[in-house]
Amino acid sequence: MSTEKTDISQELLELVAREGMVDVSDITPESRLEDLDIQSADFVMILMALEEEYGVYISVDNELSEVQTVQDLLTLAQAKIEEGKKDATA
Amino acid sequence: MTRVVLTGTGAISACGLGVDALWASVVEGQSGVRAVSFERLENQRVGTAAALSDADKERVAQSVGHRMRDPVAQYALVAAHEAIAQAKLGEDDFGDRCGVVIGSGFGGAKTLDDNYMAFGVDKTMRLDPMAVPKIMNNAAASWVSMDTGASGPLYSPSTACSSGSQSIGLAYQLIKAGAVDRCLAGGAEASLVGGVFRVWELLRVMTADKNRPFSKDRNGMTLGEGAGVVVLESLESAQARGAHILCELVGYATNSDAGDLLRPNPDRAANCMQMALSDAGLDAASVGYVNAHGTGTVANDVTETKALRSVFGEDLDGVAVSSTKPVHGHALGAAGAIEAIVTIKALMHQIAPPTINFNEMDPKIGFDPVSNKARPIQTKAAMSNSLAFGGINASLLFKSFDG
Repeated sequence: MSTEKTDISQELLELVAREGMVDVSDITPESRLEDLDIQSADFVMILMALEEEYGVYISVDNELSEVQTVQDLLTLAQAKIEEGKKDATA
Repeated sequence: MTRVVLTGTGAISACGLGVDALWASVVEGQSGVRAVSFERLENQRVGTAAALSDADKERVAQSVGHRMRDPVAQYALVAAHEAIAQAKLGEDDFGDRCGVVIGSGFGGAKTLDDNYMAFGVDKTMRLDPMAVPKIMNNAAASWVSMDTGASGPLYSPSTACSSGSQSIGLAYQLIKAGAVDRCLAGGAEASLVGGVFRVWELLRVMTADKNRPFSKDRNGMTLGEGAGVVVLESLESAQARGAHILCELVGYATNSDAGDLLRPNPDRAANCMQMALSDAGLDAASVGYVNAHGTGTVANDVTETKALRSVFGEDLDGVAVSSTKPVHGHALGAAGAIEAIVTIKALMHQIAPPTINFNEMDPKIGFDPVSNKARPIQTKAAMSNSLAFGGINASLLFKSFDG
């Protein structure tokens, strides 16, 4: 279970880097999205990629609007992916 | 100073054909949102919209269908006919002294979508030869002009979600300036088609759940469609023909953020409302109802609340503010017109329609938007706001007509 979680974290980190157009080596979970110059338009690209790769539709809600760091985003994305999986099997 | 009055209203929406159907639905909180599915969308993520029922679409096609009219023009015609009938305008009331200002966000979206699909996917060269005049944004306004013989100035503002409000505002300014005696004004939208729906999904501002404006758990809007058209006249012309006056349009303002394409700016929205108040010569305290833009996206509702607080101050708690979008959906280019009509009805009936689907107050917002149940109001003035993508704000102020 823990390996799976680490894998998805790494995948998500790469996804954020790719869609946010920043070098993956510049990103740490503690990085603030603002400092990486990831803006609202990049967010939309990241959410689109999450839909493509994990099949989850994430609309912008209060939780997402409070995301500040890469880790915040990863945690939320993981939760939404889990939620999406649950919905799919429900 | 020329005063501008309203003598007719017409609406078509997911709530049904006619203003009565719209008003009954918003007051009772009966949502017109229904399941929608688009043939060419394989993995549709959002499954609902405030779409017209199939039966209503059929009735519209029967009454105003035409091979040169996209549904957007049909909707505008249905709304215009109702408004004209209520205003009791006769043949001689049109002509050069009557303008038409009807906006749309997407214009003939169905025609565009169908023809791109035929061209790009089906690879046919046999497209609709009438596609150009059906798609153009001014088609709805032009059909209303041709149908009625209103041959004065014709405009078709395409300013996204502010199109309908700006149309009514522009018509008001034309009448005030003496350019026309009356105007058919409003907005029309019929963009619930696969391609358009998918790009709204991609923008992530639509909810896959329910539209819950101002509620803490809101996570997006629900699209709608339809049209709203009003008859605006100078007080003098309305009185000269013995028209029944519904209310007065006393103030209008519009401005632009000159900032972000998508993110609204609370200071500019507040500035817009203040300018409308000053145009009307009213102070904020005299406004008892506000029909908010209230899309139910996280950003809009926070911004709009900030703007409302800066205009109404501590008094905001005494103002009934609601969003009726969960009922008729966000009808984009028609939204401002449909909501202006809801605002006029609220003023006439002295009832604030509720914001339905409301679950919990958001601490970032901190007010109750007439949640879930209509509330009586006692006021002579009501405001309707639109805050559009592209940073375009528009505020309309209506007042009870007291001679």
